[in-house]
Amino acid sequence: MIVTRGITKVYNIGPVEIKAVDGLDISIEAGEFLSIVGPSGSGKTTLLHLIGLLDVPTSGSVSIDGQEAGALSPKELTRLRREKLGFVFQEFNLLPVLGARENVELPLRYLKVPSQERHRRAMEALEMVGLTNRADNRPSQLSGGERQRVAIARALVTDPVLVLADEPTGELDTHNTCKVIELMRDLNRETGQTFAIVTHDSMVADYTRRVITLRDGKVESDIAGLEKDPVCEADAEDIR
Amino acid sequence: MFKYVLRNMWRRKARTFLTVFGIVVGIFALTVLGALSARLNQQVKGARDWYSSKISVVPAGSSLFGGDSGYLELSKVAEIQAVPGVKNAIAGFGLPLEEGSTGFGTPEFIIGADLSQAEDELNLIKIKEGRILQDGDQGKVVLGSTLAEKFDAKVGGTVQLKGEPFEVVGIYEPTLSAPDSFAFVSYEDALNLFRAANPYFQVDNIAATIDVIPQPGVDMEELAQRIDESVEGVKVISPAEAEKQISQFSLIFNAILLGIGFIALVVGGLSIINTMIMSVSERTQEIGLKKAIGAETGSVLSEYLLESALIGFSGGLIGMLLGLLAVFLLNNATASNQVAVFTITWMVIVGPVVFATVLGTAAGLFPAFRAARLKPVDALKED
Repeated sequence: MIVTRGITKVYNIGPVEIKAVDGLDISIEAGEFLSIVGPSGSGKTTLLHLIGLLDVPTSGSVSIDGQEAGALSPKELTRLRREKLGFVFQEFNLLPVLGARENVELPLRYLKVPSQERHRRAMEALEMVGLTNRADNRPSQLSGGERQRVAIARALVTDPVLVLADEPTGELDTHNTCKVIELMRDLNRETGQTFAIVTHDSMVADYTRRVITLRDGKVESDIAGLEKDPVCEADAEDIR
Repeated sequence: MFKYVLRNMWRRKARTFLTVFGIVVGIFALTVLGALSARLNQQVKGARDWYSSKISVVPAGSSLFGGDSGYLELSKVAEIQAVPGVKNAIAGFGLPLEEGSTGFGTPEFIIGADLSQAEDELNLIKIKEGRILQDGDQGKVVLGSTLAEKFDAKVGGTVQLKGEPFEVVGIYEPTLSAPDSFAFVSYEDALNLFRAANPYFQVDNIAATIDVIPQPGVDMEELAQRIDESVEGVKVISPAEAEKQISQFSLIFNAILLGIGFIALVVGGLSIINTMIMSVSERTQEIGLKKAIGAETGSVLSEYLLESALIGFSGGLIGMLLGLLAVFLLNNATASNQVAVFTITWMVIVGPVVFATVLGTAAGLFPAFRAARLKPVDALKED
């Protein structure tokens, strides 16, 4: 479970002080499937960076699985990220010189998992996203949708408490967006994997069970209990 | 990680190649000059061995390597002989084997020595075949190893020195230094050869050098000083003095080598730094991604250090191999003159590669630290 208490992030741009995130109290329970939406500049990406321990709040605290992040050194934050969190970004998700499986293995490498087990777990994760046949392909040989599915496999491979996705469909067409969100939803249902997706795409938000809307760094609305099944177009091939 | 680093280097083939090539050029020069220096140091060491077991007395104003201050009166021999501690004072007369002979290596000399005194001196070098010169030998020669090879001489055969036939009675073992190019004859023979070549030059009762062999247990430096004090108009070159003159000779060359090394260092170092800074800034987002998913600072650091060390190492290895090839070819080309210009030692092989690797690692430090210190959130935002 992830809890933020009054987290605020202030940026100083010259003499101007901007509160990108302004005293947010948010808690995310295990097994949730939620989206964080809002217009650009609403603070949603900053919030994701703070929850993801990629950035340090100006004030307030973040706790992950009962562990307070505020007191931790950068090294310990890295360790916590490695052990508890998975990330999917909009672009630049995969290392271009590594094949799909090698990319998925990367977090396990940082966790010092022995190579055979690494290999096995990476293949399992690729199986979950339906890409075992692409294991040896480099990112440049994959379609946009496939790349994001590899990124999801990489985020899942460490069995994290929370997968944070920052505009995961931002670079995808409608069909692939639908497929990617469907995949995340299925994974959430089947494995109970917690997802928090930052998006400005209302279609993505529609398919999540809880939608947090931000405006000017504050929560405008936080609506739970939604559920709409993605209806993707007939199983066409991914468009490259 | 090694494989990963190699793949990263391969992404920018042209740039990696050019950077490596820059190192190759520097290391090539370093290797060739290193081999030259190794050869020189070998000669210097040989010269040191040759000169450190005796004291050389030369005309005042000249040095170990000649001068134009004339000759010594032969009467000085007796004066030196009278100094306590002197075992032998050997009148010597040397002249170049061929006029105006130049080139690398040591010039070829005919060395004449007073054979009645010279036994100990001539025994300083090990004889390979035949015998050393003995008192009373005339028209006989003992050849240094290089000369013996050049003349294709055999003991019992005859060689021409300045047009005169000499019987070869002995051949010395190689010393890899000056005496290898010497033809040892008697003092009288050397003087006669000189007279024949310079008919208008009055030479009688003179010596070019007088070599002093000390009695056993006598301190050479003290003896040198005693000779200097008791004999007028001479310069005494003690082993320590000889050492100094020889060192000066090699010092200049080593300074040049150092200069080349320094240039290789600056040029190669800067180009590696430049390349690595470009690599790091190209891959800022990748670094951000890695750190986001849990890469330690040390892991990013060592990845980039390994990359720059590899650039240095491959440049060093290729440069050294090309250098060796050049040295090998040049040595072969000059082999017909019995002049090996280069010597390949372990230092020549290992030194440049280690140097280039250390250089690459050091040059990578700054860019690698820059990469490792990136905050993931900033690195990811970069565009």
